[in-house]
Amino acid sequence: MAVVIDRSKCIYCGACVATCPYLALRLKETYVEVIPEKCTECQLCIKACPVGCISLPGKDNESKR
Amino acid sequence: MEKYDLPLIKNEYDIVIVGAGPAGSLAAREASKRGASVLMIDRRKELGAPVRCGEGLGLKHVTNMGIKLSPQAISANINGARVIAPNLKDDIIIKTPETKGFVLDRKVFDKDLAKDAGRAGAEIAVKCEAYDVIKEGSAVKGIKYIFNGKKGEVKAKVVIAADGAESVIARLAGMRDATSTLYDTDYGFEYEMVNVKLQDNGQDYSDLIEIFFGREWAPRGYNWIFPKGPDSANVGVGIGGLEAPNAIHYLHKWMSADGVKHRFAKAVPVAYKGGAIPVGAPVKEFVMDGFMVVGTAAHQVDPIHGGGIGLAMNAGRIAGTVAAECVKDGKTNAPALNKYKEQWYNEEWKKFSKRLMLRKVLEKLSDDDLNHIISNLDQKDIDLTLAGDFKPVVQKVLLKRPQLLKVLTVLVNL
Ligand SMILES: Cc1cc2nc3c(=O)[nH]c(=O)nc-3n(C[C@H](O)[C@H](O)[C@H](O)COP(=O)(O)OP(=O)(O)OC[C@H]3O[C@@H](n4cnc5c(N)ncnc54)[C@H](O)[C@@H]3O)c2cc1C
Ligand code: SF4
Ligand code: SF4
Repeated sequence: MAVVIDRSKCIYCGACVATCPYLALRLKETYVEVIPEKCTECQLCIKACPVGCISLPGKDNESKR
Repeated sequence: MEKYDLPLIKNEYDIVIVGAGPAGSLAAREASKRGASVLMIDRRKELGAPVRCGEGLGLKHVTNMGIKLSPQAISANINGARVIAPNLKDDIIIKTPETKGFVLDRKVFDKDLAKDAGRAGAEIAVKCEAYDVIKEGSAVKGIKYIFNGKKGEVKAKVVIAADGAESVIARLAGMRDATSTLYDTDYGFEYEMVNVKLQDNGQDYSDLIEIFFGREWAPRGYNWIFPKGPDSANVGVGIGGLEAPNAIHYLHKWMSADGVKHRFAKAVPVAYKGGAIPVGAPVKEFVMDGFMVVGTAAHQVDPIHGGGIGLAMNAGRIAGTVAAECVKDGKTNAPALNKYKEQWYNEEWKKFSKRLMLRKVLEKLSDDDLNHIISNLDQKDIDLTLAGDFKPVVQKVLLKRPQLLKVLTVLVNL
């Protein structure tokens, strides 16, 4: 499993990319690519995201907005 | 007739720079001026866009870098700063030569800097993303890129990573501490808005940047209104990474608070901007064999206000100069390139280290402390503080919270 990014809400600011210690995220020009095999589900990116558009399916971590 | 085609990326350059923000463009300009062959690449199809910045820049940075701002690069001229207490009522207004500056339009500004680099002789490739670093042993030898859909490799005597907060290139090269940690990073979100009231309390604030402190509004950070014109502004927030839920939540909370909400009653966004702002110490090493990291990629950001444009430009200027000299001398290993780090520390560390400490102190202050300080400071105190004498401020805080003595002693001894 890996995090899922709601592309319709993402502002491609790169904050999650900066924070992921495993380089499991890469900023493309207008979206973020998730590299599932690198994601450890540490959820740091979820805490970093300024707009709350990252989630881990099956976990109750949908942002509180 | 000859057909136009995009200039090709050659197989080898003296210096390859990843990222055409303020850090990359200054590095490219300075290195090109000194005769090095330079390629600067950027993932973006349009340099400067999308903006992820409050766009505030002090005049001194512009002067020091020898930049001529085009009128289009300036959204507003700034004469000072207004700092508002957590009670959203008490304030201090600071106007000194240090607080003179601009709110920029970075879409124009960043592109102008890149054009200057191009004029100095640098080759530029936009829509060109570096996706890997080529290493031989401990040395960086080049990068792998994808340019307009085509993959390629380019060798360089020096690779300069100027890729901003993501700092993927330095991490691929092996600098683990270029990852942003929740503890040492602020996460920001802002709207550029029209119909913002830049007048309040019967006063005109359209030539001031406004900074609002308060745990309730921006834990471990602050809210801001940076004017972009007579009725427009960047309205934003930065919060510490350990704070939940997220930046936009706090921005909306603050914009709805009594004391400020009337200023946004008719405001509507014309842009969303956001991003990570590393506000801790810079990365430990600035160089490796054949490699340098500059600007926000190296966490060279002001620990108090999170401004990174000025520091990025200066680091780029130093790194570009050193890289070109090292290429000329035929020595681009880490000890040779480290002259950049030495020079950076010479120029920036005295102030930077003070501000790191000041950040720690600010974090210890409660909203009550801040209300107390801001409502009690007079112009004389402010002038002294700005001149580096924190004693009057410290005394005023101590009246209220004697237990802060230990923390505040640090300040007085700076
Ligand atoms: C919300 C917010 C508000 C801010 N407000 C202010 C402010 O008011 N004043 C201030 O001084 N600073 C502010 N900052 C900080 C400021 O934006 C940065 O410090 C500054 O942009 C750093 O410049 P740089 O050249 O190091 O990196 P950047 O400006 O981030 O440039 C990096 C460039 O590298 C490119 N890039 C990245 N990865 C790759 C790759 N793999 N391949 C090719 N290209 C790549 C990017 O597209 C980008 O163009 C703010 C930041 C945020 C997030
Ligand atoms: S932090 Fe959130 S908004 Fe920013 S790029 Fe990542 S997912 Fe998108
Ligand atoms: S959950 Fe952790 S490993 Fe996975 S993308 Fe987010 S930060 Fe990276």
